[in-house]
Amino acid sequence: MIEQLSAAWAVARKELQIARRYPLNLVNEVLQPLYQFLLPSLLLGLTFYVGGRAIGLEATTGTDDLAGYLFLGTVVGGLVGAAFWDMAFGLKREMDAGTLEPTWLTPTRPDTAVLGRAFSALILSAIASVLLVAIGALVFGADIARGVVAGLPAIVLASISMIGIGYLVASAVLMIREPNFFVDSTNFIFAMLSGVAFPITVLPPLIQPFCYLLPTTYAVDLLRYYALGTIPLLPPPAQWLALVVLAVVYIVVGRWVFMRTEHRMRVLGTTGQH
Amino acid sequence: MTASPATFSATTPSRWDDLRADLRAFGAAGVKEWRLLRRYPSLFIGFLFWPIALPLAYVFQAQGYSGGQPAALDAFAQRTGTAEVAGFLFLGWAAYMWISMILWGPGTSLRTEQVRGSLEALFMTPVSRMVILFGPVVSQIVWAIWMFAVVGGVLVLFFRVPIGPIEAIRALGVILVAVPALYGLGALFAAVVLRFGEVSAMVQTVRGVFTVFCGMTFPIIILPVWAKAVALSLPPTYLIGDLRAVLLQGSDFVSLVPELAILATMGLVLCGFAIVAFRRTERFARRGGSLAQY
Repeated sequence: MIEQLSAAWAVARKELQIARRYPLNLVNEVLQPLYQFLLPSLLLGLTFYVGGRAIGLEATTGTDDLAGYLFLGTVVGGLVGAAFWDMAFGLKREMDAGTLEPTWLTPTRPDTAVLGRAFSALILSAIASVLLVAIGALVFGADIARGVVAGLPAIVLASISMIGIGYLVASAVLMIREPNFFVDSTNFIFAMLSGVAFPITVLPPLIQPFCYLLPTTYAVDLLRYYALGTIPLLPPPAQWLALVVLAVVYIVVGRWVFMRTEHRMRVLGTTGQH
Repeated sequence: MTASPATFSATTPSRWDDLRADLRAFGAAGVKEWRLLRRYPSLFIGFLFWPIALPLAYVFQAQGYSGGQPAALDAFAQRTGTAEVAGFLFLGWAAYMWISMILWGPGTSLRTEQVRGSLEALFMTPVSRMVILFGPVVSQIVWAIWMFAVVGGVLVLFFRVPIGPIEAIRALGVILVAVPALYGLGALFAAVVLRFGEVSAMVQTVRGVFTVFCGMTFPIIILPVWAKAVALSLPPTYLIGDLRAVLLQGSDFVSLVPELAILATMGLVLCGFAIVAFRRTERFARRGGSLAQY
C-alpha cells in the first residue's frame, strides 16, 4: 500500500513537473474559468439586479451574494474538471504519445498511475481554487473567505469520490477511440447537475433525482451553506452522511471497473490501439 | 516504346482561368474538410449537443437569478429590450459557438497541416494563398447554418419564441453581412497562429475577450463606458445585437442599416488585414524556413 502510494506520488510529481513547463496553461487554469464562466455569469446576474441587489437569487437560494455563489461553484467545477480532463483524458494523451503501453509494463499498477494523475490534478485544482476564491473576495467583493473553511472537509470527501468517478471516466476513455466529445459533454453535464452554475431546484423535476447521486452536489451545497448561509438542499448532517457513503461507493466501484477494463484490454491486446 | 514529348501551351492563363481554378480549389478544400469531418461521427453529435446544452445551462441560471420575481424579470426586460430570456441567451451563445468554430477552424487547419508536414507541400502548389487561408472555412459555413437552424428550432418548438419566415430571412441576412468580418478575423488569427505556432491558448484568450465584452449573456449597456467602447470595436457585438433585434424585437433591416454598414466595413478591413498579415507571415516563414517547424 505504502509502495503504491509512493509510486502514485512519483507520478504526481512527474505530472506537476510537466505542468510547470507550460506556464501559459497554468495561468489559464485560473483565467479560463474566469472569462469563460464567471464573468458571463456575473454579467447575466447583473441584468436581473433590482436596486443593486440580486433579489431573484436571494429568493431562490437565500443569498444575494452573486459573486460568492458563483465563485464557490467554480471551486467544485474545478474538481470535476480535474477528474474528467486531467485524470481520465490524460490517458488519451499518453495513448497519443505512445507511452501508455510502456508505462503499464512497469511494476507500477495502472490504477496507481491513474491515482498519481489524480493527485497532481487535485493539487493544481486546489491552487487554482484558492486563487479564484481570492479574486472573488478581493476584486468582486464576495464575502466567502471566513465561512469557506467550514466547508473544506466536504471538498476533501468529494475529492475522494471524484477519484472514483475519474476511474470510471478513464475506463470509458480507454474503450472509446475518440473520447474528446464524451469527456467534454459528460464533464459539462456533471458540473451543471452538481449545481455549479445554478441551484439544482430550477431543473425539471425528472432530472433533479440524478443530481443527488453526485457527490459534488452535496459539496457545493455545503460550501455555500457554510460560507454564504444559503438554504441547504437537505439537512447538513444528511449531506455529510451522503458524502461519506458516496466516497466509499465511487472509489470501490470506480477502481473495480477500471481494473476490469484494463484487464480486458490486456486480453484483447488493444492497449496500444487508439 | 518511347514517350511522346510533352507539349506546352504558349498562352499564359488569363485572370478568368485563374479565378476558375481558384474556385475549383475552394470547392476541393471544402470537400476535403467535409470528408475529414465525416471520419469522426462524434463531431456530428457535438454539433447537435452544444448548440442546445450550453445556452440551456444559462437559461437555468437565469431562472435561478430571476427567482420568479416579477421585479427581476422586469429589470431584465428593461435592460435587454426583450422579455424572451431563452431567446436572448440562445442567440448570444449561438454566435459564440460560431465564432469558436471560426477561431478554431482556419488557425487549427493550418497548424494541423504544419504538424502533419503537409503545409510546405501545400505552399508549393500553384493555388492562390486565399484558397489556403479561406478554403477550410467553406465547410464551416454549412455547420454555422446548421447550428443557427438548431437554435432556431429549439427556440420555436420548446420556448415558443415567435420566429416566422420573415424574421428567419432577416437573421440570415445579418449572418451573411457578418461573414466577411468574422472570417476575416479567423483568417487574421490563422496568420498569427502560423507565425507563433500556438493555437489553444490564443483561441481561449481571444474567445475570452469576446465572451466578456460582446454581450453573449448580457446587454452591453450594463458595461462600464470603457468596456462598452471595447465592445463596439468588436464585430461579434454587432452580430449578436442585430440577431437579437431582428428575431426578438421585430426590427427590420432598414433600422439596422447603420450597424450593418459598420459590420460590413469591419469585414472589408479585417479581410484586407488578414491577407496582408498572411503574406508577411508566409514571407517570414519562407525566409526563416519555419513553415515545417512546430
